[in-house]
Amino acid sequence: MPHQFNVTIDVIPMAHTTILTSSSTIAAAIPQWTREIFGNIPESGQIVFYVAAVVALGVFAWGMRKHWESWTIGSGSHTGRGAKSSSAPWPVMGQRLIREVLLQRRVLGRGVASIAHLLLFSGFVVLLIGTTLIAIEHVLAWLVGRPPTMPVFHYGWYFLIYEFMLDTFGVAFLIGVFLFFHRRWVRSTSLGHTAGDWLVLVAFLTIALTGFAVEGLRILHSNTPLPGVSFAGWLTARTMQQVGVTQENAGTFHLTLWWVHAICALAIIAAFPYTRLMHALAGMVNIALQPRQLGALQPLSIEDVEQTGRVGVSQLVDLQFYQLVALDACVECGRCTDACPAHEAGKPLNPKTVVQDIKRYRDDIMPQYKKNLSTSQSLAEFWDKSRPLCGDLAGTNLIDDATLWSCTTCGACVDVCPLRVNPLEYITDMRRHLVANGALRGSASQALQRSGRSGNPWGLPTAERFAWAEGLDVPTVDTHPDFEILYWVGCAAAYDRRIQKVARSVVRLLRAANVSFAVLGPAEKCTGETARRMGDEFLFQELAASNMATLAQHRVRRIVTHCPHCLNSLRQDYSQFGGNYDVVHHTQFLQELLAGGRLKLTAGASHTIAYHDPCYLARAQDETEAPRALLSGNGTNGVAAGTFIELARSRRQTACCGGGGGRMWFDDAVDQRAGRSRAREVVDSGAETLAVACPFCLIMMTDGLKAQDSAVEVRDIAELLCERLEGA
Amino acid sequence: MKILVPIKRVPDTDQRVRVADDMLHVETADMPFVVNPFDAIALEEAIRIREARSGDAEVVVIGVGGEEYEQELRTGLAMGADRACVVRCDTELDPWNVACILQQMVGRESPALVLMGKQAVDDDLGQTGPFLASLLQWPQATFASRIELQGEMLTVGRETDRGIETLTLPLPAVVTVDLRLNEPRYASLPSILKARQKQIEHVDVRELGVEIQPRLQVLKMESVFSQRRCQRVSNVDELLERLKAETKIL
Repeated sequence: MPHQFNVTIDVIPMAHTTILTSSSTIAAAIPQWTREIFGNIPESGQIVFYVAAVVALGVFAWGMRKHWESWTIGSGSHTGRGAKSSSAPWPVMGQRLIREVLLQRRVLGRGVASIAHLLLFSGFVVLLIGTTLIAIEHVLAWLVGRPPTMPVFHYGWYFLIYEFMLDTFGVAFLIGVFLFFHRRWVRSTSLGHTAGDWLVLVAFLTIALTGFAVEGLRILHSNTPLPGVSFAGWLTARTMQQVGVTQENAGTFHLTLWWVHAICALAIIAAFPYTRLMHALAGMVNIALQPRQLGALQPLSIEDVEQTGRVGVSQLVDLQFYQLVALDACVECGRCTDACPAHEAGKPLNPKTVVQDIKRYRDDIMPQYKKNLSTSQSLAEFWDKSRPLCGDLAGTNLIDDATLWSCTTCGACVDVCPLRVNPLEYITDMRRHLVANGALRGSASQALQRSGRSGNPWGLPTAERFAWAEGLDVPTVDTHPDFEILYWVGCAAAYDRRIQKVARSVVRLLRAANVSFAVLGPAEKCTGETARRMGDEFLFQELAASNMATLAQHRVRRIVTHCPHCLNSLRQDYSQFGGNYDVVHHTQFLQELLAGGRLKLTAGASHTIAYHDPCYLARAQDETEAPRALLSGNGTNGVAAGTFIELARSRRQTACCGGGGGRMWFDDAVDQRAGRSRAREVVDSGAETLAVACPFCLIMMTDGLKAQDSAVEVRDIAELLCERLEGA
Repeated sequence: MKILVPIKRVPDTDQRVRVADDMLHVETADMPFVVNPFDAIALEEAIRIREARSGDAEVVVIGVGGEEYEQELRTGLAMGADRACVVRCDTELDPWNVACILQQMVGRESPALVLMGKQAVDDDLGQTGPFLASLLQWPQATFASRIELQGEMLTVGRETDRGIETLTLPLPAVVTVDLRLNEPRYASLPSILKARQKQIEHVDVRELGVEIQPRLQVLKMESVFSQRRCQRVSNVDELLERLKAETKIL
């Protein structure tokens, strides 16, 4: 019976070592805290292992090479087609890799699934680092000619910490594997699954279990000092002792299980590029490279279009490097599917399927593509002859037009993806192709035609653009050229009778706070936001150029707008073309005024208010608190004299009203619109008033609630505040 | 197979139309113009016929009028027409004159089919198509909401007050189209740019030897103001009651 088991971790506290004053004694004691690397593995076995490791790395490299080939077919790398690649700046990349890869920030928030991933990920990383350190130690020792019992650095305190860390994260890994088994056993419908996923998990489970078993057997077999620090291995050893494993027979068991452990570990490395595990590498690249903020789109240049004759994406080759990498990052977890308002409403769109369809198509076409490289046919010809991703007249296209038009561009899919896969960008890129090829019909195409002709999607006369202000004597940039703030009214408030009330309320509030402001009046045009999200990039650029000229002419610096779509466009779209303005949403500006004491409100009747976060404010512009500050005050410094209700889906997890991305202009029957479940949610919340902060939300939610025979009133926050104005 | 699509430019249907001071015309200063929506439907149908024949058809758009027609013809090219031609004519034209000019253009182009809107939304006269058919002595189908081409025979469903009437007619023929036939495609900027590279042919109306002798004279144009009043009724029964008593419709 080996008595070493009585030596536990509390026998070697700091006090003990400090008592030993002779440094030579310490030096003599410390090397004992180690273990022999490849102990109990015969030299022939070690050679076989290294050969197998080289083979596994070779298989890994072969797989990675195939991925690399598929990642570099686009971005104009071979054909000169496609837009120029861009990527995030270096500091942003570094920050993302730390926050989103190491700290797993985007993985969190999905309960057990997140915990499972966190455990498996951290376990995997630490075990991988641990194993790599062992390999380094072994090679170093061999290089400097140390015997197995005299490690280069794998001894002493380092060894103790190492053993403790690896056991801790080994346990985390094992728990993670079990949770993943559970997740795949009772999987949700949105989770993609193949038999290969079971294989990977079985291999992981085997690695974890044999890892602890091998450790336990090694402790028994070679009397590893201070076995308590490797607590899991030590427990295994004690358990094994109970069932009759001895120091003598442990060696055989150890050797056998060590090989099982080693083969599984090498198999995982080899299988990495061929299984869903690939997401770890592709995801990392994608997280680093994704070039744009949420709510921004890639600009196109008319010169490129004239040169290439192509607009948007209709072929794999039109995709950019990171878009091709992202195909391998997607693990089909289905978060995007669950978050998609169009999918929820039964529209033909499923963001995950869009990504996966493109990925499978790429996997299918790659062999033909490579074969083609060795023929005389040009690549341009090859792509022209292959099946298009979208917009084929003969109907052979991979993705249906209806799927692409279902998207509200709410950005939920992008926001929830832990790996920053951007299904939205594939969709808007393909929309560009559809629009350029005349595939857009009906009411939506009319909205675009009208935006181009009349400067607003309603197509109403420019001369009537200022009619909303009748009787209010609203200052314009012409009558008050020395204004400080420009109030951007937007088309909805200019032409829609309901939204006109919002603009009138904003004007009253600005007046009450003595803000020096002006509006553009009839000189204002649609920002082009809708046109851009619908895929008509050049109509957007035309409108943007016109508006930027107007803004420059009047030396506009600071802009307030009540429309999150205008806000996002003026901020993120216009800055791509040199239009840099300080743009704030009216909720942010009003909150500033209120906090600064410039806006005086009185108490009013008490009612129950729920707030619906607009996608483009909460998600694209990350503003969720200013509206709440305005709404949840006590009546004098805010609106909600009654109760403020938080809807089930709120802040960045808000549910889309269904009006974005041009959906406002598609003639959907009310019961087929994305956002009808949101209306139900509002009814169920028991709110009397639904506060909104976006004209589209106001229109869509009003319709949606009416369709449910609900008496809930939909009001813009500005309207609610206006009612509380002193002397109102 | 060649398809001729005559298009007319009309004031933008979204704009408020005002009568000019001469009380004979519509005020056109600052007025955006568009392709007559019914003609756009005709052009869309012509392009679809070509697409269904895998491109084996030529679609030619024709405008009759001044230089300003260029813009609408460009839109036609951007939608997908193969060629565009403007018959330059600076005098005012009535449907009969236009039909005579188009007759000459049909003689030059010899199309198998003339597809056009059932009427232009500016004056709503709806005569050019039938005039043209009779001048050419060709079969015609008006108000088409369904067109099928099989060999040399057309099957046309036409919208009448009593329902859909189905006709078959041999080519060549003149067909005027109605609203529900299709939804015209959107011509975006890149396709308009592409269309800029195409030439627009110019034909002087004098070359055609047509004598412009208007048969129609506009005496006066005025705006109609609606005197409509709305009243709210509380239920269907009351509505029926009042319709019976006050309007005698029922």
